[in-house]
Amino acid sequence: MRYGMVIDLKRCIGCTGCAVVCKAENATPPGVLWLRVVKQESGTYPQVRRVSVPLQCMHCAEPPCLEACPTGATFKHMNGIVDINADQCVGCRYCMMVCPYHQRFFNDGQAGYFDEGYTPFEAAGYPRHQEGVVSKCNFCLPRVGKGLEPACVANCMARARTFGDLDDPNSEVSKLIRDRGGYQLYPELGTDPSIRYLPP
Amino acid sequence: MISARSVRSRTVDLGERFRPQREWSEGRGLLLIIAHFLTGTGAGCWLFAVFFDLTIGLPIGLLLVIMGAIAHLLFLGRPERFWRMMTHFSSSWISRGFTGMTLFIPVAFTYLLLLYFAAEQSMIGKAILLVSLLGAAWIVVYKGFVWASSKGIPLWNTPLVPALYITYALRAGAAMLMVLLAFGAPASEVGSLEPAKLWLAVSTAVLVLIYIEVMRGSGITALRSINLMLFGRVAPLFYLGVALIGLLIPIVIGGFAYGRPVPLELLGLAALFSLLGDLSVIYCIAKAGLYRPLPM
Repeated sequence: MRYGMVIDLKRCIGCTGCAVVCKAENATPPGVLWLRVVKQESGTYPQVRRVSVPLQCMHCAEPPCLEACPTGATFKHMNGIVDINADQCVGCRYCMMVCPYHQRFFNDGQAGYFDEGYTPFEAAGYPRHQEGVVSKCNFCLPRVGKGLEPACVANCMARARTFGDLDDPNSEVSKLIRDRGGYQLYPELGTDPSIRYLPP
Repeated sequence: MISARSVRSRTVDLGERFRPQREWSEGRGLLLIIAHFLTGTGAGCWLFAVFFDLTIGLPIGLLLVIMGAIAHLLFLGRPERFWRMMTHFSSSWISRGFTGMTLFIPVAFTYLLLLYFAAEQSMIGKAILLVSLLGAAWIVVYKGFVWASSKGIPLWNTPLVPALYITYALRAGAAMLMVLLAFGAPASEVGSLEPAKLWLAVSTAVLVLIYIEVMRGSGITALRSINLMLFGRVAPLFYLGVALIGLLIPIVIGGFAYGRPVPLELLGLAALFSLLGDLSVIYCIAKAGLYRPLPM
């Protein structure tokens, strides 16, 4: 089994709802964005094009972060999800240097978003994140464990995201890849990301 | 506590096409630069002290490695878990380096005890010395591989980086010994070391030029990093620290001293400049590191 995601760039409208819902689901501190949407423009006027590209941990089949981690804090679940055991992380940030997709974030403090102090949401959510360690997207593993989709998939109003088992030829993600191809980011690095993008 | 400015710069970075790496060059990241400089210099100093039989360099070399190890620990987000870094020797260069340092420090300390307090050199003493040499060589070698295995940053992701770091660590070791000798050793001892240091300084200069030229042709991100180093925000330190103070002045003084007597203090000054250059080059390479842009 290998969980993966297909993101249809043709459907993505760049609303950044996935980034917001990721923040809401995981209560990540300021400066830590497990998911973000990059806007890219190409061409010259009047032939211009703007594409929104959601980015998050690619959950590579051959993750360079896993090899680099000196403590074994980074590990891969049987279902292919690359995760971090915060209790084992020493905060050396080597994984941030080896990740070609720069999708890892160091949590060096717990400042809130507002000068007045933590909101009730922040006060409840931030203790889930240890200080001095690296964190990243884990495909909402607690939700997946309950049989739910990751929050970004469940809340995508354009239905641009599809989540499923890449090893199952009958899964929706496999069908999409079979029918429409799609591409991985930096395939030449041999990391074999589990997120595929369908071209706009 | 994280500052609002730091959060802002981090968030702004995420919008950049060429995102600078800050974790290993700013704030507490400076400790990592210092740690790599100190451990490389200390291990190089130990190696040269043994090969040139200059015992004054042994305790200083060990002390520098210990100070470097402490700087490494202070850099960590969770230093209290440092022991865990020994568990992934088979795949992680940081783990390998940590293991090398853990081997070197107690073994070198034991050797110094034997050297200063034992009546005569035994076979065990020689074996301990051999292990300490292996540990020191390991420390000199591993650092470059830590940087070179960083796939996210093309400027570092080249086999030239380990070669550069090894040469720099050896040169820094020789320079540290020269600084020590300039303040209290007979001139004859310095004389034996100067040709080695000059040779290393010239090799380092050639390697820096090769590195820059190769990286200029290694993709758009590496080129951008090199431009940062040569013409951008890292340029002042590169020209002043790396090129002038770190390479040109030591090579000129070393060349001048080659074959004719010069004041010992001048050699000491050249060695001190070499050390500053070594620190500068580690910082410049770290600071110019840019993450690979995301291809769309």
